[in-house]
Amino acid sequence: MNDIILKVDNIVKHFYEPEKFQVLKGISFEVKEGEFLALVGKSGCGKSTLMYVLSTMDTDYEGTLTIKDTVLTNQSQNQLAAFRNENIGFVFQFHYLLPEFSALENVMIPALKLKKYAKAEIEERAYKNLEMLGLKDQALKKVTKLSGGQQQRVAIARALINDPAIIMGDEPTGNLDTVNTQIVFDIFRELAKERKQTIIAVTHDDDFANNCDRIIEMKDGQIV
Amino acid sequence: MFSSINNRISQIHLTSNVKQTIVAMLGVTFGISMYIFMTGFMTGVNDIQADLAFSALAHVRIYNDGPADNSNIAKKVFPNDLINVRNAKVIKYTDGIKNSTSILNTLSKQKDITGFTSQVNINVFFKNAGNKLNGLVSGIDVVSEDKVFGSAKHMLQGNWNELKYKSDGIFVGVELARILGLKMNDNVNILTSEGISRNYKVIGIFRTDVYNVDKTKAYIAINAARQLLGVNQDYVTDIQIDMVDYNNTQPLIDNIKAIIPYKVESWQMGNQQLVAGSSLRDTIAKAVSLTILLVAGFGIYNIMNMTINQKIREIAILKAMGFSGGDVTKIFLTQAIIIGILGGIVGIILGNIISHLVNRVKFEVAGMHHLPMTYYPHNYVFAFMFGLITTFVAGYLPAHKASKIDPVSILRG
Repeated sequence: MNDIILKVDNIVKHFYEPEKFQVLKGISFEVKEGEFLALVGKSGCGKSTLMYVLSTMDTDYEGTLTIKDTVLTNQSQNQLAAFRNENIGFVFQFHYLLPEFSALENVMIPALKLKKYAKAEIEERAYKNLEMLGLKDQALKKVTKLSGGQQQRVAIARALINDPAIIMGDEPTGNLDTVNTQIVFDIFRELAKERKQTIIAVTHDDDFANNCDRIIEMKDGQIV
Repeated sequence: MFSSINNRISQIHLTSNVKQTIVAMLGVTFGISMYIFMTGFMTGVNDIQADLAFSALAHVRIYNDGPADNSNIAKKVFPNDLINVRNAKVIKYTDGIKNSTSILNTLSKQKDITGFTSQVNINVFFKNAGNKLNGLVSGIDVVSEDKVFGSAKHMLQGNWNELKYKSDGIFVGVELARILGLKMNDNVNILTSEGISRNYKVIGIFRTDVYNVDKTKAYIAINAARQLLGVNQDYVTDIQIDMVDYNNTQPLIDNIKAIIPYKVESWQMGNQQLVAGSSLRDTIAKAVSLTILLVAGFGIYNIMNMTINQKIREIAILKAMGFSGGDVTKIFLTQAIIIGILGGIVGIILGNIISHLVNRVKFEVAGMHHLPMTYYPHNYVFAFMFGLITTFVAGYLPAHKASKIDPVSILRG
């Protein structure tokens, strides 16, 4: 084991619609365990595209992606899904919670899928996560009854439930006001510091980026 | 694994939009209940038809069909030459079945036969006063005739068993009696094609509800018929056989054809129109109800497709969180199957209720009182199975589509 948690080597990706276009032009970097990393750049520079390659959801690329010493390039969709379930948590610009479930159930779902713990234990852990994010009172409410900031925090609690090695955010604060942005940022900060979880976040917010451990700035499909 | 997270999600999807679930369910319910009603009704009609037909018709009949056409014997020896035989005739050496006892012995050893009876059928003229009518006198064995055809229940007046003891007694059809002006205890004269004439006393009147039979048929005791023809005790014209399953006459025919030197004919061979009628009705019933089930299947397909389009982001996020394509298929297929099972159960109940209601509609033709209906369990089982298969296919296609959703393209917006 070394403390490099994520490594990409010469990632190249093309878009074919509406015409062939090289969006990522040979990207290589490494991320250390417990690092809080911001991906910044102008719209269309490929930072979100890169994020989805890192997330293992996008498999249509050239180059190599290694997370936790596992080469993920060319693995099957089902293998990748199982890997994501255990090792990667997601926070998106929109919360993408399941609207028919309570906050607690939303948090529990990825853990129920992983089946590492019994249901009672998962429930306890979900409560703990919600408590940490100041949402214990809202646990049994339907997520549609929560405010935008609360929903985003439920989404973060859900991302954390399986203790993933990496938490990825696609503009996790893009839809939040200053207060809630600060709350989310502090949570990330703490996770990176205390739990040694790696955070990779795509962001437009300069303040957010400037407070991270490292900024990777992209321009026209390359790291600047 | 009913408590698994996949099932929990399916359950929430079904219960969060109850209206939509019920609409999808009603599609299956309607299809299955219509299928049950249609097949119940059609088999009811077929059974009535068979009942009516088999009141005058046995499942298998043995009779003397006349000799083969051997009038041009020379042609058989010189097939390629032009041979002309003037005034050639087919000569019938035998009439009826002479050695009936040995045939009856053979039959009593066969399986799948529920009963058989011998008849001496004679074409005659019925005469009463100035009225004349041609028809058929059937010399019957009183006990076995009733066993095969259930004839005793058709008696309007008189006692069926009386024929056993009265060699000058005759039962006449109700229409025949009307036309000839016959009442109980009247005398009727019978004239055979040989020119023999004899008087019988009407001791019974029957109605089979088959107009042609009621108008032309009369029964006398079999020995009286033999006497009329002047033949011995072994002579019969027809042997009528009833079987366990009237749709399955071929094995028996194959069995006995070789050992019996007479024509062995199943009811299907002699009554192609009945076979055609009943199988056409079956086909129509199946086509209509399968179409209904298919339409119901499309309904489910549409609703599942709609659900999946509504939930496309949730599906994407489930995949992002590590649910595999198989999990997604399971989640939506489970919903379809639950809809199918619930809709099927309600459909069976509804189909049964509709059948009972239609069964009560008055329909007084040919001895019937109500519209015919059957309640065979295998029709219900088949309807349920087919309903399940339809929902499975209709649910699988959208579910499979959902499993193929690419989370990246949805989540990037």
